[in-house]
Amino acid sequence: MSERSLIDELPGELMMWVLILSELLVFGAGLVALLAVRLTDPSGFAEAQDHLYRTGAALNTVVLVTSGYLAACALHWCRSGRRARARWALLLAAGLGALFLVIKGAEYAGKAAQGISYDTHPFFMFYYLLTGFHAAHVLAGVAILLLVAWRDAPRNIEAGAQFWHMVDLVWVLLYPVVYLAG
Amino acid sequence: MRRFLSDPLSRAWLALLALSLAGALLTLVPVPQALIGAGVLILALVKARLILSRYLELGESPPWMRGIGTVLTGFVLLLLALSLL
Repeated sequence: MSERSLIDELPGELMMWVLILSELLVFGAGLVALLAVRLTDPSGFAEAQDHLYRTGAALNTVVLVTSGYLAACALHWCRSGRRARARWALLLAAGLGALFLVIKGAEYAGKAAQGISYDTHPFFMFYYLLTGFHAAHVLAGVAILLLVAWRDAPRNIEAGAQFWHMVDLVWVLLYPVVYLAG
Repeated sequence: MRRFLSDPLSRAWLALLALSLAGALLTLVPVPQALIGAGVLILALVKARLILSRYLELGESPPWMRGIGTVLTGFVLLLLALSLL
């Protein structure tokens, strides 16, 4: 009888975990850089942060964790043979991802209307860089969720859901640093 | 309803919603900004661990959960230290 290695104990594909950890490192470096640069101008960063639409960001947190829940349910249902239910859950998860982008778009439009851009203050350079890069991942995640709803083999759904949870995980770390901790 | 509440995934989702609400309410409490920053970062750490454990199913592999959880905790402590400086 062969013993299971530690690598075998990882849920899902090893390469998905490499991707998840790489993305966490990239966003993590960005968040550390934001807080490090903030030390050079704490009051300016706090003032710039006050211009952010915190209610929309809080709402987006609820949207994303709910979408993640639906993606996790889809995998559970797919494994237990409830394919139609799993597909609907993936479509709903993708729909909530799209809602996240709509709220984010409204937030960016609000900033543009106030004349705020990436060069208004160094804080906004980090804000647009980190939230914009995250939004790009959300967009990719929505496409992946739709793809795995179509090609709904358990392995596909598992990989798609893992990508989506990574997007969720990055947001729960990004949101407090960019929007709240000043 | 009982079935919904006994499901670990559903409980994780409800906990994530409650922690998100707690984070939003914390910003309304009249205390120094540094304390609010520390509070929301600690709540974020709990949420991130929940996502890793339940959504990403790392809870089924305790050695990986311990390892990644420890690195994550160290990272959030670094963010906390930088936000308090």
